[in-house]
Amino acid sequence: MNMNLNKLDPLSRRNFMEKVAKTALGVTLLPVGSRAVQAAAGNGPGFGKAKHVIYLFMEGGMTHIDTFDPKTGSTKGAKDPIKAKSGSGNLDYLGGYLPKLAEIGNKIAIVRSMSSKTGVHESGRYIMRTGYEPRGTIVHPSLGAWGSHFLGRIKDVVLPDSVTVGGGRHPGAGFFPPALSPIPITSAEAGLQNIRPTTTEDNFQKRVALMDEFDSAFRKKFNANTDVKAYTEFYSETMKLLKSEDLKAFDISQEPASVREKYGAGGFGSGCLLARRLVEHGVRFVEVQLGGWDMHNTIDTAMTNNGETLDTAFSALIEDLESKGLLESTLICLGSEFGRTPDVNQNDGRDHYPLAYSTVFAGAGTKGGYVYGSTDKDGRRPADKQASPQDFVSTIGHAMGLPIDEVVMSPSNRPFTVGDKGTAITDLFA
Amino acid sequence: MKTLLTGLCLAALGLSSAFAEVRTWTDVQGRQVSATFVNIEGEDIVLQTADGQTHRFALTRLSAEDQAFAKAQKPAPATADAVPDAALSGFTYAKSAAGQTALGLDKLVAAGIIKHANPARAKEGLPPIKGFNAVMNDEQFVRRVYLDVIGRIPSYDETLAFFQNKAPDKRAKLIDQLLDSEGYNSHMFNYFAEMLRVKHRLDQANVRADDYVNWLKEQISKNRPWNEMVSDMLTAEGKMWHNGAAGYLLRDAGMQLDNLANTLTVFLGTDVACAQCHDHPFADWTQKQFYELASFFGATSTTYRRGGGGMMGGNADLMDQVYAMAEKGGADLRRIRNGLNNFVGANRYNIADTDKNMTVLPHDYKYKDGKPGDEVAPKFVMWSPQDKSNPAYKQNKKSEEKLRQSFAAWLTHPENPRFAMTIANRLWKRAFGVGVAEPVTNIDDPEKASNPELLKALAQVMKSVKFDMKEFQRVIFNTHAYQSEACTEEIPMGAPYYFQGPQLRRMTAEQAWDSYMTLVLGQPEEYKAPLSDLYGKSIDLDLTNPKLDAMTVLMKYSAFQKIEKKVAALTGGGLDMAGGDMMMSGGDDKPSAADTAAASVGANGKQVLSYGGNRLLRASELPQPERGGHFLAEFGQSPRTLIDGGSRVGNVPQVLAMMNGGAQQMLTERSSLIFRAIDAAKDPAAKVDTVFLAIMNRLPTLQEKDIAKREITAHGDEGYASMIWALINTREFIFVQ
Repeated sequence: MNMNLNKLDPLSRRNFMEKVAKTALGVTLLPVGSRAVQAAAGNGPGFGKAKHVIYLFMEGGMTHIDTFDPKTGSTKGAKDPIKAKSGSGNLDYLGGYLPKLAEIGNKIAIVRSMSSKTGVHESGRYIMRTGYEPRGTIVHPSLGAWGSHFLGRIKDVVLPDSVTVGGGRHPGAGFFPPALSPIPITSAEAGLQNIRPTTTEDNFQKRVALMDEFDSAFRKKFNANTDVKAYTEFYSETMKLLKSEDLKAFDISQEPASVREKYGAGGFGSGCLLARRLVEHGVRFVEVQLGGWDMHNTIDTAMTNNGETLDTAFSALIEDLESKGLLESTLICLGSEFGRTPDVNQNDGRDHYPLAYSTVFAGAGTKGGYVYGSTDKDGRRPADKQASPQDFVSTIGHAMGLPIDEVVMSPSNRPFTVGDKGTAITDLFA
Repeated sequence: MKTLLTGLCLAALGLSSAFAEVRTWTDVQGRQVSATFVNIEGEDIVLQTADGQTHRFALTRLSAEDQAFAKAQKPAPATADAVPDAALSGFTYAKSAAGQTALGLDKLVAAGIIKHANPARAKEGLPPIKGFNAVMNDEQFVRRVYLDVIGRIPSYDETLAFFQNKAPDKRAKLIDQLLDSEGYNSHMFNYFAEMLRVKHRLDQANVRADDYVNWLKEQISKNRPWNEMVSDMLTAEGKMWHNGAAGYLLRDAGMQLDNLANTLTVFLGTDVACAQCHDHPFADWTQKQFYELASFFGATSTTYRRGGGGMMGGNADLMDQVYAMAEKGGADLRRIRNGLNNFVGANRYNIADTDKNMTVLPHDYKYKDGKPGDEVAPKFVMWSPQDKSNPAYKQNKKSEEKLRQSFAAWLTHPENPRFAMTIANRLWKRAFGVGVAEPVTNIDDPEKASNPELLKALAQVMKSVKFDMKEFQRVIFNTHAYQSEACTEEIPMGAPYYFQGPQLRRMTAEQAWDSYMTLVLGQPEEYKAPLSDLYGKSIDLDLTNPKLDAMTVLMKYSAFQKIEKKVAALTGGGLDMAGGDMMMSGGDDKPSAADTAAASVGANGKQVLSYGGNRLLRASELPQPERGGHFLAEFGQSPRTLIDGGSRVGNVPQVLAMMNGGAQQMLTERSSLIFRAIDAAKDPAAKVDTVFLAIMNRLPTLQEKDIAKREITAHGDEGYASMIWALINTREFIFVQ
């Protein structure tokens, strides 16, 4: 972390300076076909295969033993593991709460040897989104913002580069300009609200001009304030978006009832469906959150609900993307704050457990029915091929075609990389 | 301001000239430097060279002779004394105890600017801070103080009343008036609810925390001292509907260690979450110490334990009997089982103390000072060796049933090294936008605060007002520092701040919503959510009573459901919010017209209004937190999962809500309160003044008057709607100066 600027070779130093200038000036939209994309050939399997990413984020900390790393010994959950279809891969079993995913196990790849240092919700969320531990002096960019920074917007796409579906705090653009922040959709059913002006188009434009006039003294007085400037950027961003035909991508009510049913009722199913629509319309990075994993009490009851929600929506998403021909270019990844204790506690629940947990990948050229790494027989520690949150974030960055080794300077002149120097798990890609 | 500047400069000179003797200093290696002595700070000496730079290094690096010389120098006088009263002129202090205390704090702020800020700025090549920012004018004052004290902008009438008041002490009077108003309670509730992660529907449990919410509101409106409130929360027994304070521990039922980590973070500004799983990587915290603190809660249970296969202590087969009876009565068990279980299950959440401490080291404990499974005795943590003689630590820990009382007595003791300081630092941050020590959740070493003297003084003030939240804030709002203009300079994240004025901040989600409510309702506090106590009144079952039978359970459940229907009718969210299987048996799924009518009459008899599916009440009267998609959620209201979890970051959906959302539509409709005020004004110029006074709490500038005139000439009444729209959408509206 404490990399010394002077130690770097001249080329890297020049890159630093370019990045600083770019960040400072808010110039972030590189032309398509930029350096990063051209470099794709030499970066190993899977590099740049993910034109789009759908990140399923498990809030509260998903139990690994009851889902993707089932055990049969003393730490076994209430439900027996079920045999999963594996194709030519090495996948054996999934947790008993995931029958639909077991049916299409040949389409997913699991990393069972995840291990992290933090069992705290906020830190877990942060590190799985940015690859960095939270600090009081800087906000690190999330993956969607890294994508926009290096690759620019996808050509001819008006929609924002990244979207989050769910609530809560998100590192968003981090130290990049606020325009790279994901658009937060708090309810997938409601979609993007308030998109119809309440007056005529002409009048609307006049009102906006009037607003700028009335506000000019204030903006001048606080012209050094980045929060004020950010709001002004959001207004221009919003004006652009309002003119776009693609706004309908945010409206899942345009989907036939049969499709909506497949994804399952409730926020997460709708969120996954919304993610598919957004990807179809060119959005690069969509995060969909599923809460309710903080199962300290009666985990069997809790898993019956959440397991079904996840199983239904995740499997529907894979199949739907495949039928639309989008699975090849879309990476679905599933991450969690941490795992949960192998031992069931006195309240029939499981507590926070960062030492071992699982993440899942599908699409974008990942292997099917594949398991990378494993835990010991009770799911307490990784037994081989231990992977960190940094490796996880780097893997996604790699799939997106980002130069994960390239150092980018923050406006405060500190050096950062995608995934904090983690190693991409290229073994996941065919 | 001129006198202030002179005063500060003199003070700065005073500090250095008293010790201006240049001498040659020699270090242990024989190297020499010419410099003047500035101060000894802890183990370090600070010297100043001729170029004005100060240098700080370990005293032990100097030769023995120089060390002796340095020690013989008088330490710099307490910096507060170094600032003459003249430095603080140009500002009239309230003639009250609060005004006098405010003056004392201002001296420390001014001293901090001289002592801490300007030397640091000089090193970075930044110009020195020349004193407080200009005192804000009445227009800035009235808007900021309403937003900061009662959480909303002032109404048109309130703004006008303040401007027309010519009394010299009208600012102090307004602060007093606002602190005693209903709006203060609402705003303070929002703050504590965000800090304590207060929710109506708890994450894990099928139990609602309505009575915890009500309890918290009641304490705030009674202005219960903070130490008493916290003590109540830590020691409460029973169910929430018997004692609302029980909600604090039940909020995290089954997550005792997380609850403890939050307790230390929120009340003691000490973040030890890492120590739950391992020794703290940075601070001197060990996992053992964390468990020693946890041991104070080791004899406390938050749920009735399930006995061998049956219910808790009472009738073991009760639920089976209930199911059987319900089926016999023609109910479809598949439809009602969940609801019944939730109803009965809610009554499992009960705090009780036993005589057996269950605290043991975790199975993966890996340090040498204990083995997994070892019992852990309760022990308070210390921040410094002096704490050994601190009276807060004199607690009896003998009785297992009284462990929590000991813990609460220690934590809330006025002399606890962090308790008073933490809440004082938090409330300071609430007024200024940044704490003296940051982050407020982890003060760590008070000496590393941007102004350690100020931090300690704030803790002292908190103690001397005996944890009276209103009195403490009265002091803060009466300081010169607070009543100065907001800083226009950008302060980088994590950089220390020295309080020459508050920082510019975006309104919180609640402030933004409540300000809209003010524009729509005038006095939004007059509208109260109805029936907030019904849940607690209808849910109670005594599960420990062996005589509790199936018939009683079913009858009570039926009554509970009727009330739930009534509540659902008024929460605006409809039946979907009350769980999937509301009904005992099929039939109508809609609340009756009578229920809906009852539900819309507020607690004080005033009809609750709604617009576009949203109830027009202050945020504190709405569900905690509001649903996704609501204005409050879009504007960053905390989902209440993490401490202080709100966000003030902008985004596209917010902008859309401001441009096209329901709140904006309400204001631009002809029947709106603001349009009625416009209609009442006599001529176009007065009408324009009205729009500006209502929305921006100031009169328009000459240039703005011209723009407004142009609009109205061209578009007539539509011009007023456009002006309202435009002003609501300005950055000036959403940021608090």
